[in-house]
Amino acid sequence: MQTVEQVPVTVLTGFLGAGKTTLLNRILTENHGRKYAVIVNEFGEQGIDNDLVVDADEEVFEMNNGCICCTVRGDLIRILGGLMKRADQLDAIIVETTGLADPAPVAQTFFVDQDVADKTKLDAIVTVADAVHLNSQLGKHHEAEEQIAFADVVLLNKVDLVDEKGLENVKARIKKINPYAKIIKTTRCAAPLDEILGLNAFSLKRVLEVEPDFLESDHDHDHDDDVTSISFVSETPLNMNKFQTWFGNLLQTHGQDILRSKGILNFAEKDERYVFQGVHMLMDASPMGPWPKNAERNSRVVFIGRNLENMGLQEGFEGCKS
Amino acid sequence: MNIDLQTKNIVKTKLEQRGNEYKIKAPVTGSVVLNNAVVASFGDGSLRFFGLNQEPFEVKAHKGVILTMSSNGQFVYTGGDDGKFLKISCDGQINEIYNFGSQWVDCVASTENYFACSSGKKAYLWVKDDSKPLIMDNSSTVGGLSFDLDGNKLAVSSYGGVTVWQRGDRRWKSSRFVWKGSHGKVTFSPDGKYLVSAMQENEVHGWRIRDKIDLAMAGYPAKIKSFTWAGNTPFLVTSGASEAICWPFDGKEGPLGRKPTCVANGGKQNATFVENLPQENAVFAGFQDGSVVLSEIDETKKSYLVRNATGSEVTAISISNDKSHILIGDAMGNILWSPLWAGDN
Repeated sequence: MQTVEQVPVTVLTGFLGAGKTTLLNRILTENHGRKYAVIVNEFGEQGIDNDLVVDADEEVFEMNNGCICCTVRGDLIRILGGLMKRADQLDAIIVETTGLADPAPVAQTFFVDQDVADKTKLDAIVTVADAVHLNSQLGKHHEAEEQIAFADVVLLNKVDLVDEKGLENVKARIKKINPYAKIIKTTRCAAPLDEILGLNAFSLKRVLEVEPDFLESDHDHDHDDDVTSISFVSETPLNMNKFQTWFGNLLQTHGQDILRSKGILNFAEKDERYVFQGVHMLMDASPMGPWPKNAERNSRVVFIGRNLENMGLQEGFEGCKS
Repeated sequence: MNIDLQTKNIVKTKLEQRGNEYKIKAPVTGSVVLNNAVVASFGDGSLRFFGLNQEPFEVKAHKGVILTMSSNGQFVYTGGDDGKFLKISCDGQINEIYNFGSQWVDCVASTENYFACSSGKKAYLWVKDDSKPLIMDNSSTVGGLSFDLDGNKLAVSSYGGVTVWQRGDRRWKSSRFVWKGSHGKVTFSPDGKYLVSAMQENEVHGWRIRDKIDLAMAGYPAKIKSFTWAGNTPFLVTSGASEAICWPFDGKEGPLGRKPTCVANGGKQNATFVENLPQENAVFAGFQDGSVVLSEIDETKKSYLVRNATGSEVTAISISNDKSHILIGDAMGNILWSPLWAGDN
């Protein structure tokens, strides 16, 4: 069967006023010689100067597949299906979400719908954040936390309007929620497009390449941040059966609170590295070839979510050691 | 695949030997029957008319993808991602019915007296010679539209169920058929007693219209993209599995508590398109690799490969009104237009 190249889809999130439309306009007007389609929900004041802009309503559907938190974007399934019937191939698709949207249903759509998964691939979730207002937004709106938690890239915009100390504060806040996200500081979203598009952040291979920026053993919860992250490293090899049982159970019972999870696993009985990454209850996992020579064989897992301290993560992970 | 063991060449099927093949530079998005012609729609906005005694001709209809198409025997109705709802005659004359601007036209349906389309959450119904459409609001985007055979009922599917609009003496009245989940393509059984929809989940859902009894037809490995009514029973034949799955709709309760008949095996791949052979208890099943298999709806009978793999999923199969010709199209723009029977050419 002919294998058609999957079209990468970048999801653009961020609160109102953070600069999403500015970024979209840049992507569409910059002379990059590529053909993009942009799926938008909120028409801002500024028009977007491109003929391939598609209107969408954010329609979140629950799936009856026995997974309690499994929601997908119905409109996205429909629109991506339509775009894939075009005579000309698109180089990329950009999906803008509304300021108050939870990014989970968008990401889950790529795990759940087979046609979407066959013909397109989730490239990255890019969150535009306002350096001036992010701190206060994070306290007030859980959507803002989710958008940071899901992000592969945080475009920290309007950095010219805050002083150095303020900037360090907001960066630390982002890192605390999501140590995996790459932070790009910009004014007027003037970041190179190749740092935003074509990242392949959802490929399992990519999990191997990105080292999380861990905050050293800083696991105290002295502030009101709702979403946090926890990571574990083990030099002792893990037992595959024990890990599968624990992890499966964990996602079943706490999948709603675990927003994203990623890991590289060293199983005692396997010569290959195992890599996984998940969104809520949905997970992608696969062996990713032998361990590189001279590299330490250790297991690393990261969880981003709510109430992580109540899930017995440390004990559970320790219990998987062989 | 049909391979000659001596030469190791792919052996052309009888249909391929008899017919003409075309390679169009855009995916085939659908096909319908119009008089004695079959009309195929494409991802570049064009339609191609395949007639019995003439070369196929092309009509440029839409600026973008033709997303949906319907025929009432006299006209073809099309909806596109250019926001246009068009009516096209058998000689290719285009008549724009409505322009929705930047909104796509996702579904269309037509009958002798009425025609309808949907764009976003609204369905629009035109009564013949009436220029102002009746607008039917839904709480979510319309997934499918279908008239019953009499043309007096219009089913509109969306998230959470299907609304059936019925023509009364003065106005259209609605009745809601509820089932959790998102509903797409929708159809009435030929006798008008059942309503069936294909869901976002890998299942089809049916209702007996009289009492709204639910018929959950589940267990598919893939989403159901295509269904057709076949034979006298009749069977609801569906794609979405490695065989054509045929649910019996005879008796008082249709498929309730009964097993489907499974025919036209495609091996390790799923059917993407199914179409009945008119007036016969038989069905064509098109698969992910582009191959098409013909089978009687009888598990004891042998099935026949009528089209070899093309490398791209089957997206259209239509049989001309007089049953003389068949059109098969795929997602890479391959078309086979062929006499169905030997000696009919």
